[in-house]
This record gives sequence, C-alpha cells and structure tokens, in this order.
Amino acid sequence: MNDFKLVIRNLLGSRSRFALTLVGITLGITSLVVMMSLGTGLRAQIDKQAADLGANLVVTPKGWCAYEQVKVLSGSQLPDAIPAEELTAIESVEGISVLPYLTVGSAVDNEPVPVTGIRVAETAETKRWAVASGEAPAEDSRGILAGSAIADSFDLAPGDHLTLRGTEFVVTGVLEATGTGDDGVLFIPLAVAQEVYETDGRISFAAVQVEDITQVELYAQRIADAANVAVVSDRQLLASVLSVVNTVSTTLRIIAAVAVLTAAFGIINTMLMATFERRREIGIMKSIGSSNARIFRTFMAEAAAYGVIGGVVGLVVGSVASRLITPYIAQNEFTAFVGGARVQAVPPLGDMALILGGAVVVATLAGVYPAMRAARLTPVEAISYE
Amino acid sequence: MSSPGVMTLRDVHKTYNGRGVPVEALRGVDLEIGAGSFTCLIGPSGHGKSTLLHLLGGLDRPTAGSVTVLGEQVGRMTDVELARFRATRVGFVFQFFNLLKGLTVAENVELAMMYAGTPVRQQKTRVHDLLEAVGLAEKRRARANELSGGQMQRVAIARALANNPDVLLLDEPTGNLDSASEAEVMAILDDLHAQGRTIVMVTHSSEIAARAERIVEVRDGRIAS
Repeated sequence: MNDFKLVIRNLLGSRSRFALTLVGITLGITSLVVMMSLGTGLRAQIDKQAADLGANLVVTPKGWCAYEQVKVLSGSQLPDAIPAEELTAIESVEGISVLPYLTVGSAVDNEPVPVTGIRVAETAETKRWAVASGEAPAEDSRGILAGSAIADSFDLAPGDHLTLRGTEFVVTGVLEATGTGDDGVLFIPLAVAQEVYETDGRISFAAVQVEDITQVELYAQRIADAANVAVVSDRQLLASVLSVVNTVSTTLRIIAAVAVLTAAFGIINTMLMATFERRREIGIMKSIGSSNARIFRTFMAEAAAYGVIGGVVGLVVGSVASRLITPYIAQNEFTAFVGGARVQAVPPLGDMALILGGAVVVATLAGVYPAMRAARLTPVEAISYE
Repeated sequence: MSSPGVMTLRDVHKTYNGRGVPVEALRGVDLEIGAGSFTCLIGPSGHGKSTLLHLLGGLDRPTAGSVTVLGEQVGRMTDVELARFRATRVGFVFQFFNLLKGLTVAENVELAMMYAGTPVRQQKTRVHDLLEAVGLAEKRRARANELSGGQMQRVAIARALANNPDVLLLDEPTGNLDSASEAEVMAILDDLHAQGRTIVMVTHSSEIAARAERIVEVRDGRIAS
C-alpha cells in the first residue's frame, strides 16, 4: 500500500460520487477549451484573412460599422452599395490598383453558399491563388472558380453545372486550399455577377493596393477626395474588427470562468460530503497511525486528482467538441472565420498546459477547506461516529 | 507472566464537553499494568472503560493526571508523536472491526504498515505471514465487506499486529460475534498472550473476563476493584 494507491482507492470507493464530480469539472474545462478555441481561432483567422486580403486600403460605402467591416474579412454577403461611377472615380486615382468585390449569395442543394464576383485574373494574381484542377473562368464567361472547401462540401469538379439565380454556370476550376475564407466561396467573373444579380454595375467594396506603402494615408485621402466613399487602411480595419472580436472573446472567457468556478464549488461540495461520510474512516486511519498532516495530504491529493483527471478529460473532450461544433456555429460573421476556413479550432499547446495547470490549482484549492476539516477531527470523535 | 510498569495511570481525569455540559468520564484513576499481562476491563456501559482504553492507546489525552505507556507520556505528545505512537507501539481492535470497506483484506493490513513507514516490499511479505497466522491467507484479495464478522475481526487483529506492537488494546472484540467466531478470536488472543504480548481488553462477558490474568472493574469513572 502506498499513498497514491490509497487516493485511487478512496476516489473509486464511491464511484457515482467520483463520476458526478468528474463530470462537473470536465464540463467546466470543456467549456473553457471550447470558448478559448473559438476566441483563439477567431483572432488567428482574422489576422490571416486580413493578411490575405491583398490590400493596403479597403474602400467601403460611407457609414459602415465594424460589423460590416467584419463581413469584408469573412467574405459574407454585403449590399452592392458602391455605384459604378464611384468605382471609376476610384480607379482614376494614380498609383493604386483596385480589386472590386461584389459579394452576393445563392443556394446549392438548398444550402446557402457565398458567391463573390471578382476580376478573376487580377484577383488570382494578387492573392497568389493556385488552381488545383481545371482553370480559372474567362472574365465574360459564366464560369465558376470554386474554393477548395466548398468544392469538397458539394463534391464539385470542373465541368459540373450549377444554377445561380436562375442562370446556369459551369465550374471551370477548383482552387487549392488557402486556409482562408476564400476556401468556402464560389467565385464568378465580376461583370457576369453584376449582370446576373442585376446590380447595375455596383460593387460591395474594393481592396486597394498602393505603389508606395509609405504614402498610404495620402492615397486614402486622394480616394476619399475622388469618390463619395469611406477608406480604411488594412490596419485600421483589423483594429476595428479585433476590438469587436476582443469583446466577444472576453465574454466567452468570462462564461467559461463561471463554468470552472461552478465546477470548483462542486469539488468543495463533494469533498465536504466525503469528509462527513468518511468520518469513521478518518478515525480508523488515525487510530492505526495516520497523522493529521497525512489525512490533510490524502484529501488534498484526492481533490488534485479531480483536477488532473477532469482537466485531461476536459481538454480531450473540449478539443473534440471544438472541432465538432465549429461548423454548426459558423453561421454568423464572427464565427464564420473559424468554421469557414476550417481552422483548427483548438487552443495552442501553451494554453492547453495553462488550462490543465489551472484545473489542478483550482481543484486543489477547492480541497483545502474539506481537507482541513478532515485533518482536525479527533480520532475518538471520528471513530465514534455512526 | 507479567512484570510491572508497562502502562501507568496516575490520578487520571477525563472530562468531555457534552453539548455544553461537562461530563466526567474518568475521575482520578490510578492503575498499573505489567508487561506481558492479560487484563480485562469490566463494568457497566458508560462508566469509562473505553475512555480508559483510548487514553492507553493515545487516541485521546487526559484532562488531568499522567498516562505513561511504554515509558512515554501520552498527554505530553504532539499530534505527530501520537500518530507515530499509535502506528508502532500499540495495536487497536474494535467491536465493530473498523476495516476500510473499499480496501481488500491485504490492503487493510498494509495500510497500518504504510503509516509506520514500512517499505512496500516488506509490507507484502509481512501481510502474508499475518493473514496466515489468523487463517485468512486465501482471503487476501477479498474486500473487507465480503467477510463474515469473525473473519473481519481476525483481519482487524492482523492489522493491529502489523507493526509488531508491544501492547494490544481491544474494545469488546467479541461483542459482535457468534460463539464460534468468539472462540476463534479468543484462541488467537490466548496465543498472543502466550507469546508475551501485553493485552488489555474491554468486555462485558464474565466468561471471557475469566480467561484474563487480571480483572479491573471500572465504575463511575473510577477503578472499583
């Protein structure tokens, strides 16, 4: 017999109590992992998306809020709010190249899919896309360049036919995976998109590259002077989006912290119940030679074991749950970042270690009071308990 | 054969705080128990027999007076010293066996050795010998709660002997047993006494008390005879 074996025996002595307490802390840690996964995945994907936007400036209609700016990065459907003449005016500014986007939507097999009208060749070059199969459609053709994820989801291959807004299109090519929201989008030529979706030449927003990166502010001013639009730098856009995301992230963490705290009280309750139920047992252990300190250590070890086991199980369940539920919560502009690009929505190893360490610390702290109660029992008082 | 001085009580008082009302369990007890003796404590329930046994075994401290066991003053020991004393110098056997139900027979005996600091390998060897001695070697892997009352009490005796204590203290060890089991337990105790072990036993049975070398009657917290 050794202390470790005794702790295991004590834990398994009441299996239902052990299982229920473990479920409590496992759920707490699981929710923490899921929440942190979402927060981490969200930030990482927004960073990546912003980097892959291929723009130093983003031109949006005036008056857009941060929520709509998020949509620029997530590739979600946006109103066609910049008229053709404004686009022409923007393009007249010297020293910049403009990539207009028209984000619309359609349905395939009764499921909504994002469709984006682009200048195919320019966009593919700027974003350094690689075509995995087939080829990019010509600018005036009713062809589709499918992102890798959406092609997988709907089993699309070059030559397949799709009907978008009552018009038949042909899939001409499938992109290699980019790890961004582009993987979940059907791209069609801008001019064709404007015709089919009857936008009268309007676009949703434009990404702008400048020749001299040190003069970004100057170009932004020139664009704003030339057209009735708002211009934000990619950094401003990122900061604006991240400020919203940070609020979401903080809220998620607070919810998770409450779950962990609830689990900690579960441990306190269980250990106090155990102290009460095992009074006689404590008396027996003392009568055969256990010191107060050893009783204290035994109870503390039992509490810590809940943290270790619950922490490990919670990490595993949380990681699996994150992967499983991500597609189902990727239905709005914030979470679309995580699911749309199939980001591995699991916290980094460092965070995992921190969660596990935190679980053990919380569980151990939860065990202090019950362990003190157990250690303080006098042998006669404990052994006389019926 | 006994020799004087292994356990000495001088003017021992023990008062409990029973819901705000002081209850005097022992009122000036003087007693000397010799090494290797077999002593039975008899008397009516609630008159202080078990309290006296608890003081001898270091489960409790006297309110006043001195309790000296094997040369050590029980009342002056720290908690750690008392724990060490209980682990190595005395062995306890209770009426209701007091085995840990979640542990096997062998683990119950090993636990006492663990608290005395015996290495695991030595625990295994000794537990085999002890269970053999009480006739339960084949039950070593059984859970404590799977045994009969007599078997449980024999395991409790094996546990009490785990660290080879000089003194064995028994609180009505046959009080919860049928006559066959009682005979088995008493046979083991007779053997232990014959080997020179000091035994102090609380009992209500005059038949069992008659097997002791000495009978001490405790009445109203005092030694009556």
